[in-house]
Amino acid sequence: MKKALSFALVLLLVTGLFAGGGKEETSSSSTGPVIKSNLVIGVAQEINEQNPMMQNDQINNNCFALTHERIIFVDGNNGYEIKPEIAESWEWTDDTHLVFHLRKNIHFNNGTPLTAEDVVFTYNRARTNDANVSKVSGTLTLIEDVKALDDYTVEITTSEYSNELIYSFGAYPLAIQSKAAYEDPNNKEPWLVGSGPYVFKEWKEGQYVTFSKAPDYWNAAEEPAVAEEITFKFLLEASQRAIALQNGEIDVCIDPPTTDLQFLEKDKNIEVYTRAGTRLFYMGFNVSKAPFDNQKLRQAVSCAIDKETIIDIVLDGRGQWQTSVLNRGAWSFLDNDEVEGGYAYDVERAKALLAEAGYKPGELTVELVAATDDPYKTIAPIIQANLKEIGINVTIKSMDQATLKVECANGHQQMFLWRWNIGARVDETYRELFYTDFPTNYHQLSDAYVDEMADKVLTEKDQDLRLQYSQELQNYFVELVPQVPLYVPDLVIAYNKGLKGAYINGGGAHDWSHAYVEK
Amino acid sequence: MLKYILKRLVIMIPTLLVTSFLIFWAMDLAGGDPVNQILPENASVEQREALREEMGFNDPFLVRYFRYIGGILKGDMGSSYISGQDVFKTFMGRCHMTLILGGTALIFACIIAVPLGIYTALHENTWKDTAATVVALFGVSMPNFWLGLMLIILFSLKLGWLPSGGTGGVKYLILPAATVGLSLAALLTRTTRSAMLDVLRQDYMTTAKAKGCSKRRVIYNHGLRNAMIPIVTAIGMQFSFVMTGSALAETVFGWPGIGRLVVDSINKRDTPMVTGSIILCCVLMALINLAVDIIYAFCDPRIKAQYSGKG
Repeated sequence: MKKALSFALVLLLVTGLFAGGGKEETSSSSTGPVIKSNLVIGVAQEINEQNPMMQNDQINNNCFALTHERIIFVDGNNGYEIKPEIAESWEWTDDTHLVFHLRKNIHFNNGTPLTAEDVVFTYNRARTNDANVSKVSGTLTLIEDVKALDDYTVEITTSEYSNELIYSFGAYPLAIQSKAAYEDPNNKEPWLVGSGPYVFKEWKEGQYVTFSKAPDYWNAAEEPAVAEEITFKFLLEASQRAIALQNGEIDVCIDPPTTDLQFLEKDKNIEVYTRAGTRLFYMGFNVSKAPFDNQKLRQAVSCAIDKETIIDIVLDGRGQWQTSVLNRGAWSFLDNDEVEGGYAYDVERAKALLAEAGYKPGELTVELVAATDDPYKTIAPIIQANLKEIGINVTIKSMDQATLKVECANGHQQMFLWRWNIGARVDETYRELFYTDFPTNYHQLSDAYVDEMADKVLTEKDQDLRLQYSQELQNYFVELVPQVPLYVPDLVIAYNKGLKGAYINGGGAHDWSHAYVEK
Repeated sequence: MLKYILKRLVIMIPTLLVTSFLIFWAMDLAGGDPVNQILPENASVEQREALREEMGFNDPFLVRYFRYIGGILKGDMGSSYISGQDVFKTFMGRCHMTLILGGTALIFACIIAVPLGIYTALHENTWKDTAATVVALFGVSMPNFWLGLMLIILFSLKLGWLPSGGTGGVKYLILPAATVGLSLAALLTRTTRSAMLDVLRQDYMTTAKAKGCSKRRVIYNHGLRNAMIPIVTAIGMQFSFVMTGSALAETVFGWPGIGRLVVDSINKRDTPMVTGSIILCCVLMALINLAVDIIYAFCDPRIKAQYSGKG
């Protein structure tokens, strides 16, 4: 018995050695309030890439916001206003030339100055059509040439004028990287070199990624980093994230579970922050084949869907239903009371439209493809019940998201549930979702008017006219009904009440680089 | 004995080949375009086609399979579509975490289950036996996911004794190991009880008692040793289960083990990571089974003689 006990104790000790000794967090105090040295953010996803241009995932981009900087900053919290970051000014010199004037005092965190050569190097690399070098070349197809006019001036030549091209440069995949780092044969991970307020410290796969304060950040005088370290802790289970916040193991809980919000709201140490989100969940139709090539039928389905009930069930009421296909908050977005007409929830009208479409109750059976995960698996049966009320039978076909995308791209679906999120560029909706033959046009829509208006919105220089085009196009979609926009969930984040300096964005493009917790 | 081990290792090769073929086939049947996993949604048609050609996704199934096996033979299990990380390195980086969790959970289970199984066998059909059976049934029935959350709420949120999850030291291991261990303990208790009941009815137990052996010696030296074969089998099977099936507990506690790796990879349709991880899990299970067979030899001299070709 003694032997067994000794064995168990030894094993426990060995286990302890393997598992590490544990680390107690310390606080640093200055002349002012006490600042917690390590800001810990609990996230639902793990990062998957450290090279900005090899990805475009939000969780990675939230990390790049600490270590890298873009040529401009597109302020999603202020009407997508374009603000200086690496460039201090910019202008279109003619229809096809965009010029950026860079600040002269920026240096990378390895000490080398950031000049026009680095910008040219980054953008040319990003334009490369080789997936081993860049995965974001699709956003830069308009660019024909990038060149340095002098050490601090960059000229971009495009094939045509675009209202939205400039916003592409405000995305983290196009954050400026160091040419010298790539040319250094001893630097095996040159993409880690950025000019942001933090530097990469450690990525423990499946556990966390940590960044430490850059020792010589160029803009420390004006926009200093405060926390010594920032850690993103990967806690996939939502309830555990919420408990970890209540326990003080993390300072910020991204996407707390709806069911736990009541407990978090009662906790005196925690703030539950809610604001309108931007990610649109919708039910799309394949309009290229029967039965949904019938516009009246699509209108009937739209009238049959009770969006408010979906929001109550899926989000406990924390979201907003909408009629426009554009994401809430996007430039030119028309709210429910601004669109012309529309096919809101009205069962009697839905039945009448179904009859006009040429169908009797009970004679139509359609298939709805939905991903196996939330919220799709919850939304699908509600829509099934809604359509049953007007006499349309729905069979739900569940599949993982990767398969669903291929099914929809190949036009095999009749109806599908999906989501879309855009930043400043409305072309990402008009073109990528609805333009003839675009790979992500899952609606299989081919409409000359839509294509023409999408082009006009992209290239029209008269901004009043452009706004008019965009709103006309939204109203056209309201009548055409290639999709039934369902809802936009509110953005909810719970955090320690001492949190300061965070930039929280409704679309999820948060910037924690100046955030800290004051004790 | 060495010959036996070598023979078992050789037999593993065709097993793994068949397994790898089935997994590769299943992933292929599941559909989906791997290019969608690698490139962003707005990638051009040309970029998609170029990548498809470069990575050989247009080749016939068998060509792709044998290219994959060829890669494995050269020590290359491929890279993740999502992160670009090497599959083997990623798996091995997680494997020790699952070994720590599984090993601790199993020790925890054995410490509870073996004495409890013996105790209930010795008190067969009494209220003590019934009570232990009810507790064991409760343990088997409780889903890991629920039990884990309950333990977190009690020990982490209410009492504040232990962290809710993550890694960092022994205290981080206690709750996940207890969660996995409790359900293992329930099954092991039942196995130990029935194995001990079989042995206790044997004539040699009566002989041992008649020779004047102490009760303790009769139970542990004569009884438990002879009951060990089914117990070791159950422990081996449970360990295999823990190594490959603790994804739920790993998810609840944010424990970065291989179960969570496989589940995450399946959700993201990261084909190389799923295929590689499952093949490596099979290797792991085959090695655990081999280890169990070797332990048999130490428990039962007759089996050792068989392995040595003397039986």
